[in-house]
This record gives sequence, C-alpha cells and structure tokens, in this order.
Amino acid sequence: MAKSICTALREGALEGELAPALTIKDSIASPFGLQVFDHVLSQLFSSILAGKSPSQGLILVSFSRSPSFYLELLKNKGISVASSDKRIQILDCYNDPLGWKDQLVEISSTVTVFREVKHMDKLFNSIIELGRGLVGGGKIRFSIAIDLVDEMLRRASVSSVARLLSNLRSHEQISSIFWLLHSDLHKARVTAVLEYLSSMVASLEPSHQLANGQRGDLENFALIEHNSKKGKFHVRFKKRNGRVRVMSEEVHMEQAGVNFTPLSSEGAINQGLVPKVQFNLQLSEKERIDKANVVLPFEHQGDNGKPLQIYDGRRSLVDSKQERAVAVEKEESDSQRGEIIYYRDSDDEMPDSDEDPDDDLDI
Amino acid sequence: MAAAKTRSSSFSGNLSSAASSLGPGLKCGPNGTVLLSSGIPDLDKILGGGFPLGSLVMVMEDAEAPHHMLLLRNFMSQGLVHSQPLLYASPARDPRGFLGTLPSPAASKDDKSRGPEPDQEKGLRIAWQYKKYFGENQLNFDGQRDGKHKYSNEFNLRNPLERHFINGQRVDCFSIQDSPDLSILQDRCTTFLSQLPRNDGSISCAGRIAIQSFCAPQCVYSNMEWEMLSFIRSLKNMVQSSNSVAIITFPPSLLSPSFCKRWQHMADTLLSVKAIQDDDKELAQLLTGYQDMIGFLNVHKVARINTQVPVILEATTFSIKLQKRRYLILECLNQAPVDGSSGTSYGTSGSCSSSSKTGNLDF
Repeated sequence: MAKSICTALREGALEGELAPALTIKDSIASPFGLQVFDHVLSQLFSSILAGKSPSQGLILVSFSRSPSFYLELLKNKGISVASSDKRIQILDCYNDPLGWKDQLVEISSTVTVFREVKHMDKLFNSIIELGRGLVGGGKIRFSIAIDLVDEMLRRASVSSVARLLSNLRSHEQISSIFWLLHSDLHKARVTAVLEYLSSMVASLEPSHQLANGQRGDLENFALIEHNSKKGKFHVRFKKRNGRVRVMSEEVHMEQAGVNFTPLSSEGAINQGLVPKVQFNLQLSEKERIDKANVVLPFEHQGDNGKPLQIYDGRRSLVDSKQERAVAVEKEESDSQRGEIIYYRDSDDEMPDSDEDPDDDLDI
Repeated sequence: MAAAKTRSSSFSGNLSSAASSLGPGLKCGPNGTVLLSSGIPDLDKILGGGFPLGSLVMVMEDAEAPHHMLLLRNFMSQGLVHSQPLLYASPARDPRGFLGTLPSPAASKDDKSRGPEPDQEKGLRIAWQYKKYFGENQLNFDGQRDGKHKYSNEFNLRNPLERHFINGQRVDCFSIQDSPDLSILQDRCTTFLSQLPRNDGSISCAGRIAIQSFCAPQCVYSNMEWEMLSFIRSLKNMVQSSNSVAIITFPPSLLSPSFCKRWQHMADTLLSVKAIQDDDKELAQLLTGYQDMIGFLNVHKVARINTQVPVILEATTFSIKLQKRRYLILECLNQAPVDGSSGTSYGTSGSCSSSSKTGNLDF
C-alpha cells in the first residue's frame, strides 16, 4: 500500500482539483520517517523520469539533510542525476537557512540555495520560480517534496506554513506534493492542521507499544530494539467520493532502505459506529459451564428418568424435615450449581401444566 | 425517512395576513417564525420545515471528507434560485470559482422516484423497515404544489447552475484568507444585513450568508480564538434582528476543545458531517445500504425560536447518499436484519446486538 501512495502521487491532480498531498508522520517510538520519505521520493522521481506521470519535474525542498545526500541517494538507487538534470531541482534550505554565511560554494547546478526561511511567501515564490524554470510555464506540472515541515514550523507561524501548503496545493502547475513531519515535536493542533491540509496521511507506529512509556526497564529494551527495526505503517486516504480508505502494512528497516510487507495479523482499525454496549452479551467458558449445570424447575426432567424433586414451598413440615436432611446433603454437593427456587402458585395445579394462571382473569 | 413531529401549539398568531405577504422561497413556520429552505428537502423535513429566519446554523466539518461543501452548495443554490441575496466568504483564493460548482434545480419531469423498485412482485411483501415507505405519499403532495416558486428544490449535482442566476443577483463573494483580522468580514456582514432589516410588515426577500471553513488554518486570524468567538456572537446578534439565515462551517479538530464547545453553544441549529470508512466490513454488516452512503449527518441541535419547547427528533444520525449520483438525500440509518433480535430502526446507538451476522428471521 505504499505502492498506492506512490501511485496517487504519481497520477497527480485532475483538472480543477487540489493537488494530492501526503503527510508522512512518525515519532520517536518509530523513527523511520526519513527512510520512508526517501523511498517515496525515489519512487516518484523514477516514475517522473520514466514518463509515467503527468508531472514533468520534481522540486525538493531540503531542510534536514544536505542536498548532496539526496544526490547520492538517487545515484545509489540507480537514478543518474546527471542525465536527469532537467528534471530535478533542490532548494537548499539546509546549508544557510537564515543567511548567516557570506559565501557558499555551489555544489551543482541542480541546487539553489535559499536564505530566507523565515518568510513563507518568499519560499513560496522561490519554489514556484524554480519549478517554472524547470518545466516551463503554462500548464506543465511539477511535483514538490518537502523534507521536514518541522523546520518550517520552527521559524514561521502555523498559519503561514498552512497558507504556503494550501497555496501550493491549489496552484495550477503543481501535480502532487508530500512532506514529512515528526509528530511528537508539536502540539496536537499542529498535526491536526497538517492532516487537514493533506489528502493522504501515512503514520508510522511502533508494532509494540511500550508499557507506560517507560524506557528504562529491562523488559522494554527488547521491545525498543524490536521497534527500531520494524513498525506499522497506517495510511488514511481521503478519496474523491468522500470516503476514507484505511490501510496498514508492516515496515522493515533494511540496509538498502525500507521494505513494506502486508500485516501479519489483521487488526480491526475501525471504531466508527459499531455500537458500544455496556453489558457483556457473550458468555465466557466458565459461565457457559455453569449455565449448563443449572437445574431448571421442570418436574419431568431428571437424571435417568428419576423424578426430580423441587422444593415448592407447600410441603408439610414433617416431610420438609426429611426433605431438609436430604436437601442439606444435596446442597453440599450442589454448592457449585446455581439454584432456582420455585414456589408453586396453588395446590390444584398439576405439575408441569401449561395453563396460564392469568386465564381466569375477567377483564 | 425521518419526519420530525411538528408541535402544533394552541396559540396561533395572526398568520393569515402574514402568509400572503411572504416573498418567494419563504413559508410560515411554527411559533410565528418564517422559514427558508436549506436546499435539501430531506433536511427541511428533519428540521421541521427549514431554517427559521434570524437563526445561525453551524456545521461541524470532518477533516477527512468534503461533505459540508455539499450542504453549502445546496444552500447557496436554493437562495440563488429564489433570487435571495447571498454573501459567501471562504478561505480559498478565488471564491467566485466555487459558484461555478453550484448545482441546478432538477427538472420536475425526471424527478427521482424513491419508491420501490419496479421489478417487485405483486404478492405479499414483508416490509422490514416499514418507515421507509411512509414518505412516498408525502412526496406526491409536495410535487403537486407547483408554481413558479417552489419552496424547496431538488438539486442535480451534476448540472451546474445557469449563469443568469449568478450574474443578475446580489451575490457577494470574498476571500478571508489574507485578512489580518476579522474587521473586514464584520463590515461586509454588517453592510449585507443592513439591507434586510426586520420590520413588522411583510418580508419581501430574505438573505443568506455562507461562511465556509471559518477557522481554516491558512487564515491569518485563525489563532485569534477570542476574536473569532466574538465575531460569531456579533453575527448571531445581527442575524437575529434581520431577515436572513447565516450558515458557518468549521473543522472542530482545529480548535481547542473549550472553544469548540463555545462555538457549538453559539449555534441555533447545529449539524455535523462525518466521513465514512471505505470497505468497512463491520459497518457493511450492521447497516443496510452501506455501499451507497458517502457520509453521515448528525443533527445536534434544532433552532428553538419563540418557544421553550424543545424539538425532539426521532433520529439524529442520518446517512448521506447521492441518489443516481445526482441528488443529495438523507436517510435514517437502518440496521441490517440480525438473528432474531429486534433491530431498532433508528440510530445505531440504541442497538444492543453485538452479533452482526445476517441471518434469517425466524418467526
């Protein structure tokens, strides 16, 4: 299902629609966000190069890693950047984001340094300019990848970052856009804002939750180690018809990158409208056995045809004394069983008659 | 089908004189109020006729689905069809563009038939959810009340509204994204509403205000929570003393919980829309017609004007469906037949069956 994300990004936006936007979010418990980002980036770029996408170029806005890292990465994946010079441009917000250095050595022609990270509108203009320079003007589209949105949020307000992202999405030349977010670095509202602005949300979660968030226990070390290599990948797609598709996979960290496999055990993700009842309608095993053991007050039943005697509250005292002795014995053996006390309404009533006692009411 | 029980009070005002002097698209409601249509006939029925003039309607959006846009579209189209002045504010850069997506009224000839399928046997039919069939008679009545100005129209979401409805009107659109504070919006609303003062005389026309995604994150003022709240309060007051209805949609996940509650209290009529998960097997077993549903609509509050008597609805959760992919209809939730237990015909909150196996009913 990482494939479906890449497909959605590759296909891009329809005419008159906002561009599909993906948020990849991770946390310290499952820190594979950057690797997943790299994976999506290389997939998207190779499909752009192969001409499978209406998008003709890719603009990468790098905040957290140096542009040379990305050039290396793409080379390692077998995509030669030299020949694809005309398809990718990197906006370098890593080396000198605030304009402190006087001079910077230019790395390559694919990289443009950006020095004013505090101003979102200038960033917007640079991105669009770079994109237009890459693919030309008019109706030709390009895609955008933003390394870490956290870095943008450090320096600018949430509403300006939101404005940048929504303006990028609604720009007619943008085919698709995706970004990475470390969700535990921000308040819940910020994550909610970014989820509101995106059409797909991919979240990385640890496969085993740590008990009480304690990280010092010995037992938890094994879990932490497990979590550092594997995790769960949940995606929520907002489809065009207004429905939400939820999918899950397992993600493994490997030397070469990340690997996605289908979930080993199906977990129920849906909480929706399934009614939550306040009482338990299922019987546990013990309860089932006890229920089978309860003796019902029907006089024709009994072990092996012997009539079962059920105290009906009307026997004479003499009998009852004898009965009591018997009953006490029985009780001891029956202490495990449930009991039903049945008082018969009248003496004329035949045992087990089906007569409705209310029949003689005159209404 | 849901029909709210309209309480007929023993006090009836001097309605006969007022009724004759109502403009198009208005009708008299209970307790001396005047109603206008929401553009969705099912919603009008649920709310007891429509939105009362002078009320504030708030719709809580779901960040994962655009269903609030469907409600807004029908609301705005209905106003334009009745030549009611409209004020539309949205965080998009070009709100006028949204007017191009407004639906046009369905021609009465190809009116959808909500009755049973034509190929049903003439023999004995056991109606499992019999309340669905009550509405047929009512529909026929409404259709007969023809004339140039129907109170409420069915809108065909596939056909765009004709240009002449939009151009010849007092339609004011503007974007709220870049306003640094709410004073511009406030002024626009004041000017708009000053054209529609409420006098004791006849009401020639009523106005509609639609504000979409009021606290959208890309708006500059979106973190000024107290200012937004006081704007809503002043709008509510202005609307109360004018002949208009204002509808505000907002995503509650982007507000802090206390402000979310405050905003909900401000509303006279409070609705919320919810996304529905795709391919949800549990939900598919629980509800009939799950395949056609695109979302849920919840009615939390219904306006009480001039009365202390609360409106108690039979059901508060409805499913949103697009009939023939054109007409927006709201239906009561119907539980799928379950083994022997008596399924309640409204809402799943009252259900107490945890086994959702569809089985045969045995009598």
